[in-house]
Amino acid sequence: MYRPNNMEVFKNTPAWATNWRTGMWAYVFHRISGYALVFYIFLHISIIATSAIMGPETFDAVMEYLHSPLFLILDILLVAAVVYHGLNGIRLILFDFGIGIYHQKQLFWAAIILTVIAVVAAFVLVSPAIFGH
Amino acid sequence: MSANQSNGSIKFKVFRFDPDKDQQPYYDTFELESRPGMTVLEGLFDILERQDGSLAFRYSCREAICGSCALYINGAYRLACQTQVSHIDSDEVVVNPLPALQPVKDLVVDMTPFFEAYHAVDPYLQPAEDLKHVEEGKEYYQNPKDRKKLDMPVDCILCGSCYSSCPTTWTHEDYLGPAALLKAYRFVADSRDDATADRLSTVSTESGIWRCHTAYNCVEACPKDLNPTFGIQQLKKQTVGKLLLGRK
Repeated sequence: MYRPNNMEVFKNTPAWATNWRTGMWAYVFHRISGYALVFYIFLHISIIATSAIMGPETFDAVMEYLHSPLFLILDILLVAAVVYHGLNGIRLILFDFGIGIYHQKQLFWAAIILTVIAVVAAFVLVSPAIFGH
Repeated sequence: MSANQSNGSIKFKVFRFDPDKDQQPYYDTFELESRPGMTVLEGLFDILERQDGSLAFRYSCREAICGSCALYINGAYRLACQTQVSHIDSDEVVVNPLPALQPVKDLVVDMTPFFEAYHAVDPYLQPAEDLKHVEEGKEYYQNPKDRKKLDMPVDCILCGSCYSSCPTTWTHEDYLGPAALLKAYRFVADSRDDATADRLSTVSTESGIWRCHTAYNCVEACPKDLNPTFGIQQLKKQTVGKLLLGRK
């Protein structure tokens, strides 16, 4: 049976991805934050472990470097990814239990609002360290 | 509001592609007279009759029952026959074929993968043993409470909008898709059907219910306002119930 391959399909249908609504954004954000967190956890473990193996001086130097404003701002992004991914994960688990399928948009916005609150709180806590430098 | 409310002219920007002639698809713009109550399908007929007889599109019933004329119109999945030009909030009606399906010619797409998935779930009633005595050609009776469960899924007109909108079908070509899974749910939920175990084992695969990522594009796309995600969730629930609790 003839099946068009995906690249062929996308090439011939320019409008394929423009009707993105709430659920699609929730799905895409979940995917992106998921990949970002996997990438982060490997980076985190490898950097901490490598610098610890190389001795106390190296470890302290690396820690000092990671306390620079750039990394503190990245930490706030990390809070956003963790909180969103976790809350949307709960949203997906609720769907699997049959809860909220007809209220998925409200659940998505609840997750977004809580994520924003967490990010604002993280910023308030971290900002003295960022601007103190 | 658009200027298409009354008599006047309206622009149709239509996706064109002829595999015999064209290397790439392109858009043709047609200017036609609009009138109150005019639908997008009527506009396409107008183009076909007066301006370009080579335009290809599908239609049949013209009253939102057959599901042939599902198109991607101004950024949304709509049935051309029930979409009035005056309800489109733009001076230009942009008509695309169903995205992510292979165009055959102009607005006609190859629905083969959609119907392959549909046939894979055995979309017909397999009556319970105690109903088999019913004479051929007679009805299988069902009480109103059981019939109520089928109100949502029986309204599917197989237009393919959900299948075309689903991000999983874009990337996973064996995925059964929302329409076929909703159809499977329609028979699993039917008190007269006796093939639940077979149906669950058909859909409980990597390319079936477990591949659904609940992006809800199918719910957004459905011109009949159905909820395939609900059907898929019910199938997941029944499958897990069967595996863990030995429920039938």
